Amino acid sequence: MTFEKNPDLYSSVQHWMEVVNARHKLSAQEWEDRLPVLWSFCESLGKDPDTIIKEALDERNSKLDYMRHLRRWANDQAKGPQATHELQNVIRSFFINNGARVLTKPYPDVYSRGGL
Amino acid sequence: MEFLEVVGSRRSIRWFKTWEKVPRDKIQRILEVVRLTTCPGNLQPWRAIVVERDALDEQTRDGLLGADNWQGAHTQAPVWIYWYADPSVTRPESFQERTTELTDLGALPPAYGWSKEMIEAAIQRGEVVQAGGPAINELIHGMPAEVGAAVAYAGTVGACACACLAAVNEGLGTCLHMIAAPSKQDRVKELLGVPEDVLPVWVQLVGYPAEDPEAGGQRPRFPFETTFFERSWGQPFPRDEEVVSQLTKERLLQEPMPKPGRFDELKFLSRMYGYPE
Repeated sequence: MTFEKNPDLYSSVQHWMEVVNARHKLSAQEWEDRLPVLWSFCESLGKDPDTIIKEALDERNSKLDYMRHLRRWANDQAKGPQATHELQNVIRSFFINNGARVLTKPYPDVYSRGGL
Repeated sequence: MEFLEVVGSRRSIRWFKTWEKVPRDKIQRILEVVRLTTCPGNLQPWRAIVVERDALDEQTRDGLLGADNWQGAHTQAPVWIYWYADPSVTRPESFQERTTELTDLGALPPAYGWSKEMIEAAIQRGEVVQAGGPAINELIHGMPAEVGAAVAYAGTVGACACACLAAVNEGLGTCLHMIAAPSKQDRVKELLGVPEDVLPVWVQLVGYPAEDPEAGGQRPRFPFETTFFERSWGQPFPRDEEVVSQLTKERLLQEPMPKPGRFDELKFLSRMYGYPE
């Protein structure tokens, strides 16, 4: 399935941007960096953003399946654990700010400066 | 720090300097405060297990964090104090032992009717206490186990509030979390070696704040007049603005949240620790 990569067409993307901007005032450049991550994630699933959010909110198992897919997808996309984590955070932010609560874990070095 | 400023400066800190260790003497000072906290009948139902995160093996650490749903503040705080309530201290014989001790030491005055005989009669036989003394016969005699558990729990919750103030007084940040999701309480007990019949209360996270210690300002509270009454329910206790002004000078009352820059602070903390915004 193909879909238009235009944030104006999807209420979930609009809502995500509005909520994050209301709090953190991200720059246009930051959104230009983040939106392609979302489009790429959606493409990997063959679904548009609104469909993904609707399914995640309607059915907990769908949400968990999306999170499993996110881990695999980010591992395939990124080079190194930090880049993988940052990609996942973009998508987690999309889910969380649309009301789909997902578990977040910090970097290993959150435990201690030397890492564990 | 003065008492009023300690109370006014306390916040639930949710971002900690995860790399900065808490000196052991500061933890002991918190525990020493709790040891002297008020409680009914001097029952002292609280029990605490101090856990230094970085001294744990990985499996135990992740088990405890997983039980609390990997909450950010929990992962970051270097010290976790697990507070439990021991309901066995509220058994009639324990209550009798504690109140008798207080009578022997002169805390409970004979002038009000306190004596070993009165305590024994009221607690063991449910005899009515004479006017001037507390109706402990009704409270204790034949008390269901659930009431004892509630008393132990309530006493420990109060102790946790004092533990938070004690942490602030030491210049630390602190926050109370559920020990675990209800379905995972048993797992935490297993990891910490806690007896089955002891009640989980809170886990107190302790460390140095990574966020501004004011954490965005004082939290909103219900209006004074709709919270505190005089003479009858719903009749506001008048709030004197001069007292408010004085308490503001004494730092009990501080700037309400959100203070300017709070959301920028949250954005940068999220980025620093690798969380979504």
